[in-house]
Amino acid sequence: MLSYTLKRLLGLIPTLLIVAVLVFMFVHMLPGDPARLAAGPEADAATVELVRQDLGLDKPLHVQFVTFFANALRGEFGRSIRTKRPVSQEIAERFMPTLWLTLASMGWSVVFGMGIGIVSAVWRNRWPDRLGMTLAVSGISFPAFALGMLLMQIFSVQLGWLPSMGADSWKHYILPSITLGAAVAAVMARFTRSSFVEIMQEDFVRTARAKGVGEPTVVLKHCLRNAMIPVVTMMGLQFGFLLGGSIVVEVVFNWPGMGRLLIDAVDMRDYPIIQTEVLLFSLEFILINLVVDVLYAVINPTIRFK
Amino acid sequence: MKSSKRLPSFRRLLIAGSLAAITLSAPAFAAKDVVLAVASTFTTLDPYDANDTLSMAVAKSFYQGLFSFDKDMRMINVLAEGYEPGTDGLTYTVKLRSGVKFHDGTTFDAAAVKANFDRVTNPDNKLKRYALFNRIDKTEVIDPQTVKFTLKEPFSPFINVLAHPSGVIISPAALQKYGKEIAFNPVGTGPFVFQEWKQTDYLKVKKFDGFWQQGLPKVDTLTWKPVTDNNTRATVMQTGEAQFAYPLPFEQAEKLKQSDKVEVIAGSSIVQRWLSMNTLQKPFDDVKVRQAVNYAINKEAVAKVAFAGYAVPAEGPVPPGVEYAQSFGVWPYDPAKAKQLLAEAGYPNGFETTLWSAYNHSTAQKVIEVAQQQLAQVGIKAQIQALEAGQRVERVESQPDPQKAPVRMYYIGWSSSTGEADWALRPLLASEAWPPGLLNTAYYKNELVDTNIAKALNTTDKAEKEKLYKAAQEQIWKDAPWVFLVTEKMLYARAKNLSGIYVMPDASYEYSEIDVK
Repeated sequence: MLSYTLKRLLGLIPTLLIVAVLVFMFVHMLPGDPARLAAGPEADAATVELVRQDLGLDKPLHVQFVTFFANALRGEFGRSIRTKRPVSQEIAERFMPTLWLTLASMGWSVVFGMGIGIVSAVWRNRWPDRLGMTLAVSGISFPAFALGMLLMQIFSVQLGWLPSMGADSWKHYILPSITLGAAVAAVMARFTRSSFVEIMQEDFVRTARAKGVGEPTVVLKHCLRNAMIPVVTMMGLQFGFLLGGSIVVEVVFNWPGMGRLLIDAVDMRDYPIIQTEVLLFSLEFILINLVVDVLYAVINPTIRFK
Repeated sequence: MKSSKRLPSFRRLLIAGSLAAITLSAPAFAAKDVVLAVASTFTTLDPYDANDTLSMAVAKSFYQGLFSFDKDMRMINVLAEGYEPGTDGLTYTVKLRSGVKFHDGTTFDAAAVKANFDRVTNPDNKLKRYALFNRIDKTEVIDPQTVKFTLKEPFSPFINVLAHPSGVIISPAALQKYGKEIAFNPVGTGPFVFQEWKQTDYLKVKKFDGFWQQGLPKVDTLTWKPVTDNNTRATVMQTGEAQFAYPLPFEQAEKLKQSDKVEVIAGSSIVQRWLSMNTLQKPFDDVKVRQAVNYAINKEAVAKVAFAGYAVPAEGPVPPGVEYAQSFGVWPYDPAKAKQLLAEAGYPNGFETTLWSAYNHSTAQKVIEVAQQQLAQVGIKAQIQALEAGQRVERVESQPDPQKAPVRMYYIGWSSSTGEADWALRPLLASEAWPPGLLNTAYYKNELVDTNIAKALNTTDKAEKEKLYKAAQEQIWKDAPWVFLVTEKMLYARAKNLSGIYVMPDASYEYSEIDVK
């Protein structure tokens, strides 16, 4: 397994290179001149040229590409066009708030989602299932911005219990993580349920019951483990998405995270920020996938990697 | 025991509330902290490198200029005590206030002024406000309290340029010390000292004890908090997490008015909104068509529907409040006349065109939708599209060839940041301002307008300027290169216990007297 993990980690490098090339090309294909945008509407042509030189955008594209690449290899991602601060610093400051928010929402949504999923599967087509699945469908279909605003209206404006913006204390995490996690919990619930329903019809479950194993043990020991594989896959995917920073939730709750940074960057054609953020997202996804693959083996020891 | 466990947060809140009430009632000891919610993150704390009104407005916390505008856009002396223009219009001698210190203890004098203007006029420093100040040929120290500016060419609104929020005086010692990093370490003469800038979250400044104006500032700290979402900005006013918010979404105004903690204010502005028509292209090359479009659009309706009433129909090319603005009354809404003019111009059945908006926020979308419906009434079929910033730059602002520019009708706005007619006309309607230079998206060119704008720059005689600008504005009104839509109002919210902060007509803030009751 160790050699497998190492191999996968080495495989990261070509993937990231390809992503870097693609991102560079796409970002530079976006319409709009970043120098003009940075200079602002009141600038005349001469000022735009000054800004262009200042940002190094006057050099030919292939030179810019080589510079970007050479610097990226050394871990240097340049300076933001908008704020002129180092990109690594801009991203580092926003990474932790997004990570904590992601963990908080993943935490509760996995617990709730799997709980609802298991209950629904065990009492299939009875009222707990109906209730659980109604909740799940609502969770998927209720748009995050509407849920966020609704929660804010109730808990911040009407009741005054919870703050509505920022990320300073644990209280600040409650509303955004509920908003962000609702859809994840719903997806998890549905996944767990369908996976569970399938597993519960397997022969080994019947065998376990036949030899007199108690129902709770059957469900939580025999079934859960086997039903986990698709659920863990889904969990990994959702985790990757959330780590990218939810644009909607971060805007609504004024969360100082990666999603807001990305919108600001796209708005201003802040090439260095967009490139680095997308690279980071790809890296996160690849790593999460690797962790998920390794988890398969942990969950089901019959899985072997070659 | 049980019941107290059940309601801990509520109880704690009550206790906290009463404690807060006690502290507030003892003003001698209470720290006065104010949180101000603004619309976007600040790009820089160096006003010479800023192009957004917000960054410059916030920089007023720690920076001051020689001159400034008060809350009604009247020019006032700040670090200057007065000025004397030379007879040739090329020199300006400015007397400086004495006894002023920078936050770092440096004395404010003529050498400090010179250091700042030498910095911005040097193209090697690549500052974004280079264009605003590059008419300065040289800055000379006459004596510690007197500085003399010599211009490359006569430029009558020069003092307005000095009053522009980017024209601040930075401590020369700090400029030496920090170089380009001055943008992260501001040191000025303003009422507040820079404390902390957490780019992701807020900018905090604290009271400057050595401030030269006695008794000011009246509060201890200001926290500028960017809150990008419109509705959230309104919400934090209701929850009390902020004491000031601008801009407010028009839709939220009514709801906020019902709150007993918040005051909703609609101030006057010099933000003008219009639709430009590309006068190089058919059918807009015909003045009758342009006039017809003006008759076809009901400006009252635009103000009511798109701006929820927080705008007034335009009465001229330059909005009232800008120096030398002329009023010609609202262009009447008369679809019959519009149809007649279209027929005279050879378009009895109207025509097809495109209408773009320079912004894609909801107000702009409503404006172009209303305009589209009203144009349809006289047979003009307009395809509408709200451009995203990058598209706007590519399709409109960076077009190299005026003859091939794809822009036809274009919704945009402007406020003259110098408060003077020159900057309300020259970048928008002089022929030198065709894109990609500046923003004359109508590609309007008129001999009289061009010469009058140029002549007015050369004269310091106010009566003469008044005459020149009046003739230019009359000509523009007659030629109608724009559909003159509305002048916006500044809608903002202020906590009832907060006073002394205003949104100025150009969307900057004035808060030298800010105080909490």
